[in-house]
Amino acid sequence: MSPYTLTIMIFGIGLGTTITLMSSHWLLAWMGLEINTLAMLPLMSQHNHPRAVQATTKYFLTQATAAAMLLFASTTNAWITGEWAIQQMTSLIPLTMITMPLTLKIGLAPMHSWLPEVLQGLDLNTGLIMSTWQKLAPFALLLQIQANNPTLLITLGLLSTLVGGWGGMNQTQLRKILAYSSIAHLGWMMLILPFSPSLTLITFITYIIMTCSTFMIFEINKATNINMLATSWAKAPTLTSLTPLVLLSLGGLPPLTGFMPKWLILQELTKQELTTTATFVAMTALLSLYFYLRLSYAMTLTMAPNNLPGTIPWRLQFKSFSMPLATTTMASITLLPIMPAMSTLLKL
Amino acid sequence: MPMPNVTCLTSVRLLSSIFRHHQLLLPSVASVKVPKRTVFQGEYRRPGRPKEDKFPWQKINFNFSKGLQGIKKHFTLLKKEFFERWVGPQGKPLLEHILEQNRVIWEFRGPESLEGWTVSSDREIGGQSEVYLKLGRNNNTCLLYGTMSSTPPRDGETRYSGYCTMRSKQSLASFDRKKHFDWSSFNTLHLRVRGDGRPWMVNIAAESYFSHQKDDIYSYFLYTRGGPYWQDVKIPFSKFFLTHRGRIQDSQHALWLDKINTIGFTLGDKADGPFQLEIDYIGVCKDYAHTEEFAYELYKRNPEV
Repeated sequence: MSPYTLTIMIFGIGLGTTITLMSSHWLLAWMGLEINTLAMLPLMSQHNHPRAVQATTKYFLTQATAAAMLLFASTTNAWITGEWAIQQMTSLIPLTMITMPLTLKIGLAPMHSWLPEVLQGLDLNTGLIMSTWQKLAPFALLLQIQANNPTLLITLGLLSTLVGGWGGMNQTQLRKILAYSSIAHLGWMMLILPFSPSLTLITFITYIIMTCSTFMIFEINKATNINMLATSWAKAPTLTSLTPLVLLSLGGLPPLTGFMPKWLILQELTKQELTTTATFVAMTALLSLYFYLRLSYAMTLTMAPNNLPGTIPWRLQFKSFSMPLATTTMASITLLPIMPAMSTLLKL
Repeated sequence: MPMPNVTCLTSVRLLSSIFRHHQLLLPSVASVKVPKRTVFQGEYRRPGRPKEDKFPWQKINFNFSKGLQGIKKHFTLLKKEFFERWVGPQGKPLLEHILEQNRVIWEFRGPESLEGWTVSSDREIGGQSEVYLKLGRNNNTCLLYGTMSSTPPRDGETRYSGYCTMRSKQSLASFDRKKHFDWSSFNTLHLRVRGDGRPWMVNIAAESYFSHQKDDIYSYFLYTRGGPYWQDVKIPFSKFFLTHRGRIQDSQHALWLDKINTIGFTLGDKADGPFQLEIDYIGVCKDYAHTEEFAYELYKRNPEV
């Protein structure tokens, strides 16, 4: 893509998200979401491969449907109460209705079917933007609306963690695995939203850091399936030893960063006397952990068959810009000790 | 123009019996019948096939035991799919998936292996080629043979003709859902064939989304040697180019191997006469030395000025 077009599109997605983040009126928020979607579409289909175009079409259809439903719910609320402010949404039916389009936008179960196919059709860099930046705007809206039906959100959350764990089980394509991992993490975020929105935000930020580092690791190794990951040990041995830590952090294993949001969420759920829910969601995390372990096993703990030239790339100097990778990888491995600071922030 | 089929009304018979002595009236009254709509002909009708003469509801063949067999077959497939997920990706343990470097996809070892293939030639459009598929000697190979004739059919619009092809049928999972091959761990197609010296074309069809991409096929050439000795042909997937209905496309892209539907072999070299292709097996393999992603230019050729 020409650098000018690329700049405009990137600016467009930034603008769209920013408009939604700073808006207090539903119409402005909807406008930001639409700008975001439309600017993302050329980025997704820039390679002109039929699979990329297929992913773009599916993404457009789902996002447009969600935006239409969102506009409908906000218009209904304005009709009933006369209020357009996002935080003043008080009418019951629109409030319940607004949850559906927002969950469709982020790909939460049961509206998750589009996410694996769409991510599979994209290259890793565009997939990174899809999994991280594109979730900011709908999340900002979800955090602002006063959730009055915890049962719905808890159900969606539990369903997502289950679907995310089970769906990613037998995948060999890395992008689909990351899609299901995204669904599972979003489930954890939804679960705690009615009780502690700041915990949702912390989980979201941790998820973004971990997902960024995972995508960047796969991009450096040019790996799109497990077999390519398995033969990538010779490209950057340091990265090969750090990747299992990043993946296990995604799986929520202590003493890595990914454990922090899960710990705080389980603590909060127990305080809210939802111990069964907490147990169930902790069990479903095991499903996701299984496929992260499987990736670590394939990449680091085993040495896949390779030919002689495939074993020497590490001798050559690494030319790619790896500062974001280094920062996000270290952040996803070592940030658990700041948990007390996070608990203090929660009390705000 | 043939008379439309009509049905007799009892009132007309009564009327004709009353007015029997009116000779002029009788034939026209006796032949007054209610016209019936002709049956909609539907899709392309191969030359030589009879026209449709039954309505769709008249063609229903309600067979209870066949229905039960179908239920049993589909639920067995569903059960198999459910339990193979517990073993590993694509029904194999992960270690096997990582270590796999060669996989035989089609092997012609018995009559049931031929059921997964379909043959066709330009006879469908009115040409004169003939093509047949049978098992080779000792039931160890498949033999595609026949006669090609490039005489175009005399329908006033076809100018060129002469092709014979065999294509694998779309594999189906439970409840007739499409099943795709995932060859993303491999990068080369390996065929063991014994041809007759003619240039064949290997066609791979991948899964598409839009209906106008239905005829998108990725092709490459297969030059056969013709001798009594077998030929091992290894074609990297990066060499396959995109065609649509047989025409090479300007904007090319690489074949994505994670959703492959069918493979086929076509002969269309404008040389009339008999042909033969014997195939032992069709497999895929991973060539670690082959690092090419795509063999052709990806930039926009013939840009609009």
